[in-house]
Amino acid sequence: MIIAERKPMEEIRQMIAPYKKLLLAGCATCVAVCWAGGEKEVGILASQLRLDQSKGRKKISVLEATVERQCEKEMVEELRDKVQEVDAVLSLACGSGVQTMAEMFEDKPVFPAVNTTFIGMPEREGLWVEMCGACGDCFLDRTGGICPVVRCAKGLLNGPCGGTRKGGKCEIDPEKDCAWVLIYRRLEKQDRLDLMRQYYTPRNFRAVKRPGRIQAVKA
Amino acid sequence: METKIGIFLCNCGEAIRNIDFAATKEEVAQIPGVTCVNLSSNLCLKEGKEKMISCIKKENIDRVVVAACSPDFKEHFFRQVLESAGLNGHLFSMANIREQCSWAHEGDVTVKAVEVIKMAVNRARLLQPVKKKKFPVNREVLVFGGGFAAINAALQLSRVGLRTTLLEREAILGSETVELGSLCGFDISSMMSEVEGDENIEILTSAEVTAAAGKIGGFTVRIRKGGEEISHKYGAVVLATGYQTKLALEPELKSDINIVSQEKLCRMLEDPNLEIRPRTIGFMFDFSDENSRLSTLATLNNALAAKQKWDSEIYVFCKSVKVDGPGAEKLYREARDCGVVFLKCEARPRITADNGRVKIEAKDVFLGEDTILACDLLVAEELLLPSEGTEALSSLLNIRRDSRGFYQDENVHLYPVASEKKGIFFVGGCRGDLDLSRVLTDVSSVVVSVYELLSSGNILTEVEKVKADPQKCVACLTCIRVCPHDAIQLVRVDGGKEVAEVFDLACDACGVCAAICPAKAIKFRAYRDEEILAQIEAIGES
Amino acid sequence: MNGCIVAFCCEHSAYPAADLAGKLRLHYPENLRVIRVPCAGQVDVIHILKAFENGAAAVLVLGCEDGACHHISGNTRAKERVKYCNMLLKEVGVDGRPVAMFNLSPNAPHKFVRAVNEITKIKKESGR
Repeated sequence: MIIAERKPMEEIRQMIAPYKKLLLAGCATCVAVCWAGGEKEVGILASQLRLDQSKGRKKISVLEATVERQCEKEMVEELRDKVQEVDAVLSLACGSGVQTMAEMFEDKPVFPAVNTTFIGMPEREGLWVEMCGACGDCFLDRTGGICPVVRCAKGLLNGPCGGTRKGGKCEIDPEKDCAWVLIYRRLEKQDRLDLMRQYYTPRNFRAVKRPGRIQAVKA
Repeated sequence: METKIGIFLCNCGEAIRNIDFAATKEEVAQIPGVTCVNLSSNLCLKEGKEKMISCIKKENIDRVVVAACSPDFKEHFFRQVLESAGLNGHLFSMANIREQCSWAHEGDVTVKAVEVIKMAVNRARLLQPVKKKKFPVNREVLVFGGGFAAINAALQLSRVGLRTTLLEREAILGSETVELGSLCGFDISSMMSEVEGDENIEILTSAEVTAAAGKIGGFTVRIRKGGEEISHKYGAVVLATGYQTKLALEPELKSDINIVSQEKLCRMLEDPNLEIRPRTIGFMFDFSDENSRLSTLATLNNALAAKQKWDSEIYVFCKSVKVDGPGAEKLYREARDCGVVFLKCEARPRITADNGRVKIEAKDVFLGEDTILACDLLVAEELLLPSEGTEALSSLLNIRRDSRGFYQDENVHLYPVASEKKGIFFVGGCRGDLDLSRVLTDVSSVVVSVYELLSSGNILTEVEKVKADPQKCVACLTCIRVCPHDAIQLVRVDGGKEVAEVFDLACDACGVCAAICPAKAIKFRAYRDEEILAQIEAIGES
Repeated sequence: MNGCIVAFCCEHSAYPAADLAGKLRLHYPENLRVIRVPCAGQVDVIHILKAFENGAAAVLVLGCEDGACHHISGNTRAKERVKYCNMLLKEVGVDGRPVAMFNLSPNAPHKFVRAVNEITKIKKESGR
């Protein structure tokens, strides 16, 4: 799922400085699961902003609301009444949610409270790791299900760079596992090491023309 | 919906002297939603209790606040009073104005008392009832193992009428225990025949568990035996998988025939055909592992036996002799009286092989100098380790192990024979710390617990005290991963959506899941955010 | 409630310790308000922040000793959350470590009193 991380407080403060009444809008999907922008985090940020005013800051009032998925127009519509009451919206959703809010309520400034970082999964509770770079040209079939585009520091397609450290760690970042060592071991388990002898020509990492646009089957 | 709150103040037989009860009564009567305020001096005695019940009924009270002593003391009692008055026991909140107010501060504490009562009232307003339900449970017990602890457990369980299955992975039941012959006055062979003849006990040998699922009252276990796999349901599981020992030796010494384990020494002592009796024997323990109760007893027993049988010179090297077990002190004195020499060393002695003998170099604390002993036989230090397969089995059952690899108890002080997952217990060596007398006590303790749980065929439990709202749950699996009692599982609700569900029988109401749920989908009655916040809001109102 | 100290007390350790302090007539500051919880691990960040929003001067979270938590790791979780809270509060200018975690056993009333006195001292030093 999409992983996001709350922005530094100073950045958030600067964004909202001129406004007196805010709506903090959360999303109950990806950002809730990665503990960045769900109902819980909305409550915490709201509490922090309210406490902040006691330090000589302008008195602000903060409303809180969380929708199921902030990238759905119908769900965002539910917030219309609350949005009318405020001067600005601080969204804790991913970039998609922020933009949907901004589009639905064009007359109100909508600010992002989180940075959308990557597509990933939990390694254990509270620890999210990047798995996919959304490159648009997936070749996980050839790498035993391990993506070298994001998990290899150099994004190599044809095997390790030769600088792998002891213990199978990356030359660039010794905390990271060398993706190609992982790929080798995985293919070995599946008895498909012959794939490592195939050489792949340079790929187009921008297979998806930005901004991406996909039409599924016309139902 | 307007709640009708009844407040009952008690001055505990006038033991509470620094609170102005009249003023308190007047102030709390004004709190919105409060129907009546009563003052008593003996709320927990028969007269006070009866007055309380009649007041609740008369005034149609639906939430009760008692301001008196600590809830730790009387909460349970007052919950029952509410039930007698026709109210659910959970619609009750207690304000501690005695131990944590009157007795904790000097001078008049009326202001604090009023606030503490307001906190309780705010909470009471939001309380929801918690119902109880009977959950049917399976009355069969699965015991892993075949040694002394396992067999005792099976026999005792059978005696209280619970059908038990003994699951032994080797071909012979308790193969290692049987080899040891009579164990400290117990006749193993007669125990074995008793088990084999008991109709209530099923013995499965050369069997292993391949999968385990479910919770207390209904663990579904898949057992593989002789190439076949069968699935069976058990109400509780008892682990008695024992332990193993490993000589704590430098690798180059491991093959030396003059360095033996305690068990080997026992066999040598019993061997009528022993060729050469060792004239000088060294013992070592308590250096690598502080949990040395077993090694201490073994050393004392064996040292005495060797002295009496072979009249050898015996030297014992250790950090300290821990004689906290019953009879240990006496054994120690006997050993010393027989001429066994004990050397207290701070550091582990150096051991080297020396021309068919074993050389031990150590510094005795009292002598203050280095001593060198050349002995014919060294009974080396042994580490107590979990038996093989402990890691795999704990993984299968999803229970924790402690830092040494043994099964982790639920609470080191209070409940050492149970795992944090309800319905799973352990006895004997697999707990990592044992001597024989403790094993029997532990077995009895476990048998009583299991009997309490399963004998009636159902368990009365509070339901939905901790509940995950299927609408809000996004199945992020966080609660399932963090629940210390493994009480939450993923279930499919109508519509095919997968959500987390708390299994009431296994839940221990700690609230960790409720606190960590990122979607705020889990509600823990009486400790919900609203209920906590309501208490906070009452602070400073006066 | 300016000046009050809110103490979240775990029912297995701190709450009985507080009761025992009362029984032994060990006195501590009167502005302490106790909220009883089933486990320190049940105390959420928002509970602590709301206490400050309502005017608390400091917050105590009290749980079982390391390795003795009735629910295995509730006290460890609480410790992490307290650290996190102090960071969140610092971000908005509430300095001086206003939230503190203490571990104690149910039969240690003196530890309870010590915890209250310590947080009172910290509170005074940061001028709250």
